[in-house]
Amino acid sequence: MSYQRDSLIRLRTLQVIVLLVVGVILGRLFYIQLIDDRYKDMADNNALRHVVQYPPRGEVRDRNGEFIVQSREAYDLMVIAREIPKEGFDTMRMCRVLGMEKEELIKQLTRAKTRSRVPMMITNQLSKEVKLRFDECNFRGFYTVYRTIRSYPRRIGGNLMGYVGEINADQLRKRPEYRAGDYIGISGLESAYEEVLRGKKGVKVNEIDAHGVIKGSFRDGMYDSLPIPGRSLVCTIDAELQELAEELMEGKVGSVVAIEPSTGEILLMVSSPTYDPNDLVGKNLRLNYNKLLKNPHRPLYNRAVSSHYPPGSTFKLVQGLIGLQEGVLKPSYRYPCNGGYTYAKGRKMKCHPHPSPLDLRSAVANSCNAYFCYVFRDIIENKKYENVKEGLDVWADYVRSFGFGRTLDSDFANETRGYVPTSEFYNKVYHNSWKAQTIISLSIGQGELGCTPLQMANLAAIIANRGYYYIPHIVRSVEGVDSLEQRFYEKQYTKVDAEHFEPIVEGMWQGVNVAGTSTRAAVAGLDICGKTGTAQNPHGKDHSTFLSFAPKDDPKIAISVYVENGGFGATIALPIASLLIEKYLTDTITRPYMIDQVKQMKIYYPNAKK
Amino acid sequence: MLRSNSYGGSRSIFSLSVDWIMILLYVGLVLIGWMSICSASYDETAIEPYSFSHFYVKQVLWIGLSLVVALVVMLLDDKYYHMLAYPAYIGGLLVLIGTLLFGKEVNGAKAWIELGFFSLQPVELVKIATALALARLMSSYSFSITRFGDLIRVATIILLPLLIIILQNDTGSGIVLCSFIFVLYREGLNKWLCIPFILIAALFIGSLILTPMTMLVLLILLCTIFEVLMNGEWQSRVIYLATLALTSIVIYLVANYLIGWSLSAYKALMGVTLLSLLVVVVYAYRAHLRNIFIVVAIFVGSMIFLPTTSFLFNEVLQPHQKDRIYSFLGIKDDPQGIDFNVNQSKIAIGSGGLTGKGFLEGTQVKYNFVPENHTDFIFCTVGEEWGFLGCLVVLAMYCTLILRLMRIGERQEEPFGRIYCYCVASILLFHLMVNVGMTIGLMPVMGIPLPFMSYGGSSLMAFTLLLFIAIRFDASRRRFGVE
Repeated sequence: MSYQRDSLIRLRTLQVIVLLVVGVILGRLFYIQLIDDRYKDMADNNALRHVVQYPPRGEVRDRNGEFIVQSREAYDLMVIAREIPKEGFDTMRMCRVLGMEKEELIKQLTRAKTRSRVPMMITNQLSKEVKLRFDECNFRGFYTVYRTIRSYPRRIGGNLMGYVGEINADQLRKRPEYRAGDYIGISGLESAYEEVLRGKKGVKVNEIDAHGVIKGSFRDGMYDSLPIPGRSLVCTIDAELQELAEELMEGKVGSVVAIEPSTGEILLMVSSPTYDPNDLVGKNLRLNYNKLLKNPHRPLYNRAVSSHYPPGSTFKLVQGLIGLQEGVLKPSYRYPCNGGYTYAKGRKMKCHPHPSPLDLRSAVANSCNAYFCYVFRDIIENKKYENVKEGLDVWADYVRSFGFGRTLDSDFANETRGYVPTSEFYNKVYHNSWKAQTIISLSIGQGELGCTPLQMANLAAIIANRGYYYIPHIVRSVEGVDSLEQRFYEKQYTKVDAEHFEPIVEGMWQGVNVAGTSTRAAVAGLDICGKTGTAQNPHGKDHSTFLSFAPKDDPKIAISVYVENGGFGATIALPIASLLIEKYLTDTITRPYMIDQVKQMKIYYPNAKK
Repeated sequence: MLRSNSYGGSRSIFSLSVDWIMILLYVGLVLIGWMSICSASYDETAIEPYSFSHFYVKQVLWIGLSLVVALVVMLLDDKYYHMLAYPAYIGGLLVLIGTLLFGKEVNGAKAWIELGFFSLQPVELVKIATALALARLMSSYSFSITRFGDLIRVATIILLPLLIIILQNDTGSGIVLCSFIFVLYREGLNKWLCIPFILIAALFIGSLILTPMTMLVLLILLCTIFEVLMNGEWQSRVIYLATLALTSIVIYLVANYLIGWSLSAYKALMGVTLLSLLVVVVYAYRAHLRNIFIVVAIFVGSMIFLPTTSFLFNEVLQPHQKDRIYSFLGIKDDPQGIDFNVNQSKIAIGSGGLTGKGFLEGTQVKYNFVPENHTDFIFCTVGEEWGFLGCLVVLAMYCTLILRLMRIGERQEEPFGRIYCYCVASILLFHLMVNVGMTIGLMPVMGIPLPFMSYGGSSLMAFTLLLFIAIRFDASRRRFGVE
């Protein structure tokens, strides 16, 4: 046999082998795809249902262990449209069981049919009783899923706790670990501590037959995972105190924030008007949300951390402290006040009647405007500095060290910075031609200054601590975590030394306990120190504010009350603060008449907007 | 290769005569593969369908890189492959040993190297190196396939990497190298040398499926029939068989019921048969029937081989390999156990029918009923979504590709190119046969990818390299006649 002929035979043999291999495969394919029907039936029977196991969301207790936020079981009704039997089902019966309108059910079913293989929600938050009744009916293709929804036993802290809702498309894009239909904390604590509270979803893979009946766990639960419940939180809030504060603030627009100076723990935080957090739960969420959104007083706006107010006279405390530190003021200095301070020809900043001249302590106690105009001018016109501009920037640095004009870096969402003006700002506004007199209103906490109530409460804590603060925070401990982040344990010092605080503290004490603007706040034995503020504003009547802490020598609570358009600081902010301090320190109310008085004051301006 | 010297330098790529049919088939298969990966890993609830975490997005990257590989191969001169054959082969062996020592273990096989952002399976590249080395050895001037020494060298080249791969616990990928027997046959290997392979395979499989008794009876019958076919005289052989049967039965009965020994029928038959062989040998010697010796040798060899098989099977193979072989042989029919993959795969393909369920409409594949549905079981997607007609098209494409590779091999002027083309063809055929075979239950589950279609960077790039080297050889062949 020649080589060529042998090669050709071998080539043909190999070609036949290739064709044979492919032929055998094709034959087998022909058999299983076209002849044998078994596989089609098996494929139809082969179906898995992934049931998401939602974890219960972490609960929140107050500093005394009382529940503020709880999780309650509820059920979502899901459907996989292609598993509904072709002949349909008894829609009327389903509506009866669910207590649902037929139109609504049909609408949801139509929606579900657009993605017939995917579990779609028909309705949510069914009670356990409804769920059990529904399960008995055994509708094919439908099943219920365990979820938890929030409940707020004390009905307090609407803005503080925030609320939980279904995640929206925007957030979904940013947070791929979520799926449509998941709940997410939307504001307040729920949003700030979302990662802790949410837990981890699990999944249960069930095998179901062609009729949608669960046949059991797929491969003995090999692909199942258990949900990990969200961790619970202990909040720094005192629920009883928070409740009282909300009651007192009813009918007024404004904010109350109290801090424990020795830790920075926020004892209460009210933004008024508030709302019942239970309104933003469950099926009524959207309806109530829209209602709240339309309210002109904007109850969903958390004034305590987001609103910028002029601090008014309470800011004189800072002014005095800076003056002392800069050496341009001594506690014994006296400045005249003849009904005000004349800063330019024919221009006078008015002051209320009080004895004159006063030293620093009495000027704080009596809230003398003129006194602090002198102080402020001395600070920024100090010969040490080249000009007023530099002086103002030094001043602004001091002010920022008190936590103003920047966020405090608390654990709360939506904290805003407020505003402390600098020379750059005034250069722009006045085209470089301005002097101390131009910005004299800063000396009494007016003008361009903007502070959040949280910053003001923090100022009270700084004075109580004589020079430092702990970053205010809302959470005391997280389940399973030994300590909070390190920053909450570090003292934050201001640029003013501790020794300079004493005269200011004494002035505040005098103002309450001896003579001055704050005498109504006095409670025997509590050594309350306080400072009123009456902040002018272009929108209407003056804002009423009061900044206070007690007891003087071992401060347990520092508080700031701010009531929009409340008039004099002493009229309305003062009694609120005084009552709350008393309640917190002694757990009693000795002046019930004062509570009634405060409650009767309703200050709603028709177009009040801040 | 050497031609560039003889004909004065290689030609530029523009003057190459590229076989466009091959390239079209390649591109077609890669695209069909990508569509199938889309279906297999598609998740309609995914938020970001274009995120890099999806297999179908990653595969786009692999395809892009493969095209670069293909282009580079086409731009390089083909003379390098002859030169690089042995260094590449030795390098490949070293990498295999390195992997064995330092590699990453995936699914029980230590066959992967971590290379920063992706893992490489060196066995894919070793196939190419082995093919090149084999081509170089067999194309050398002094090589003769009929010479024993040369055959030993061929066996060494094939078995060395195979051995290391088996040590890596990746037997499936290693056995691919055995497909080179296809090449050897084309190059003139004596066909009788192929018979022992077939016999050993038959015995191996037989010993696993059948009881030892059946095996023994079958062997006796087959050997006798074989002997009758060679020597005739069937009457005496029937008497011989009957004597064996009767004696065994008598001994069995006597031992069990009269003496009280518990002697098994197998041992009785075995003993009688072995004793009878003495008679047979004497008879053969007297009657000058030499070929009876061969039959006796085969029988005795098989009898020794059978226990060895079960030893090998029980001691050497990994449990999952044993399970897969059992499953293939239909011994353990446990739908939730090891057979699960194949069952699900058959259901997926079987439910496709004539025209399939359509792109992205397959339920079995998409809902992960079929494990590994984007890699080894990618053919299920074709079967389920495009039905029998889709399978027909894909198989026809593979078939054309393989036959065309053989044809290209035949038209090479140099044996080096021809042998290489045949190596590629045999590797592709083996992969096709085993991979598609396992999805429809014709082959044991071996865990080797479907060329060009399965998801995976190293497999796709290696197959691209493998194929395009062959295309490159062909592209620079000298053309006769008008062009």
